[in-house]
Amino acid sequence: MKLKNFYTEQEPFILGTGFIVALLVLWESVPLWYTLPRGMTLFFTTPSKIAAAFYELLFNGEIEKHFYVSAVAFLAGLGLSIIVGLPVGLIIGRSPTLEAWLDPYVTAFNATPRIVLLPLLILWFGIGIWSKIMIVFAGAVFPLLINTYAGVKNVNRVLVDVVRSFGANEWQLMKIVVLPNSVPYIIAGLRLAIGRAILGVVVGEFFGSSQGLGYMIASAATNYKVDVVFVGVAIFMALSVILTLAVKQLESRLASWRPETAKTF
Amino acid sequence: MTAKGYFTEHRRLWLGLCSVFFVVSVWELVLTYIFPVNPFFFTKPSLIAAAFKEQIQGAKLWHDLAVSSRAFLWGFSFAVIVGIPVGLVMGWRRRVEYSLDPFLTALYASPLVALAPLFIIVFGVGVLGKAALVFLLSVFPFVFNAFAGVKSTDSLLINVIRSFGGSEKDLYLKVILPSTMPYIIAGARLAIGRGLVGIIVGEFYAASEGIGFAITQAGDTYRLPDMFVGIIILSLIAVVLTELMRKLEMTVAPWRASEEVR
Repeated sequence: MKLKNFYTEQEPFILGTGFIVALLVLWESVPLWYTLPRGMTLFFTTPSKIAAAFYELLFNGEIEKHFYVSAVAFLAGLGLSIIVGLPVGLIIGRSPTLEAWLDPYVTAFNATPRIVLLPLLILWFGIGIWSKIMIVFAGAVFPLLINTYAGVKNVNRVLVDVVRSFGANEWQLMKIVVLPNSVPYIIAGLRLAIGRAILGVVVGEFFGSSQGLGYMIASAATNYKVDVVFVGVAIFMALSVILTLAVKQLESRLASWRPETAKTF
Repeated sequence: MTAKGYFTEHRRLWLGLCSVFFVVSVWELVLTYIFPVNPFFFTKPSLIAAAFKEQIQGAKLWHDLAVSSRAFLWGFSFAVIVGIPVGLVMGWRRRVEYSLDPFLTALYASPLVALAPLFIIVFGVGVLGKAALVFLLSVFPFVFNAFAGVKSTDSLLINVIRSFGGSEKDLYLKVILPSTMPYIIAGARLAIGRGLVGIIVGEFYAASEGIGFAITQAGDTYRLPDMFVGIIILSLIAVVLTELMRKLEMTVAPWRASEEVR
């Protein structure tokens, strides 16, 4: 009886982890019940081999080296996009003229996958850290900019009028009303930006790099080291999930006082 | 209407057009008269326009577009066929939701494009590898939006169907699927963007034809105008498809907002 209660309480967790565990077990057991055709064994690997490859790469310092390179590109690109995206979003949110002036570019770039700019950026910035920083920046800046803009647009008119009536200038208005109101939107934008930034790191390192986790994946694939490919993919997965969950936590903490849920684009 | 009235009415549009015109002419003038940089590294609008005209008249561009869109359509159609039913069942069956949600959320959050090299070596550089990549990237928006759509279905409608003795099939086809439509279209908008990423990365990585390949090839041979043509065409396609979906969303959503019972 107790066990049944425990199950009903924990059902989401048990089923969720159970499904993942079952998938991994199934994957691991494939070689036991199915002999792969000779050509396919080259492309096949099992979770235990991936874990072994991870352990090995971790201890010979390979992962640390590549991770460091990727992290620098990620942080620099994301930082740059925050430095550019936030102020531009705030300004075009407050000025309809500037907004109309910049709107064609923002719309076009936001709809286009910015990955398409990669060959151009490699041509301009060369193979190395700068082309990666720029592709991360290009990916991450638009979600931040557009969400900041949406937050500014969503600000309560009454609050703006009150602060204005008490003689606040534009700068004080920004500080007292607009910025605090936009924070939930900015955080939501940050969550999207993180996803785009990681995408930029991965693809940027596929092509414009000789180091980094993306490079590790690409070069392992060319050498048919499938387990190493999955080690790289798993690291990226873990990082994305952790970062996304962290920002979501932040979002829900901020949600307690905000009037309506932030719309994300 | 006076000219001035017309201008204030369409102020946004005019300012936008002015801005594009201004930027393009400054770009052209600066590169022609003030600061003539190396044409291997930078180019100007007049050269891009000439390359554009030449490419539109040639056969290669259309061939590349056909190749890319074939892979895109295969992957995207499979994403629709697989994603929507999975999302519907996930939204409707609690146990299925509990089982699949953590797994699919983790996949959705992660940059699955990292699997591109593996997909290309396994499935080859042709349509199959790219279509598989497009499918993998664009299936999740369909799953999660169909899921969210079912979750927000009006339970009154479900009870009505049940009271009148409707079967499980009626429930799906007459209530759940229609009320989920706006969400699915919103999902399609996201999926288009992700699918395009799949095509582009797949063709950057390894291909012998296709629009992504045309862009990298132009870059590798320092034909900057041709490269810009490829980029502009891709963004045009992306903008048109996204705007179409937005329009579709707006035409579908009002019917839902009015909550007419049919």
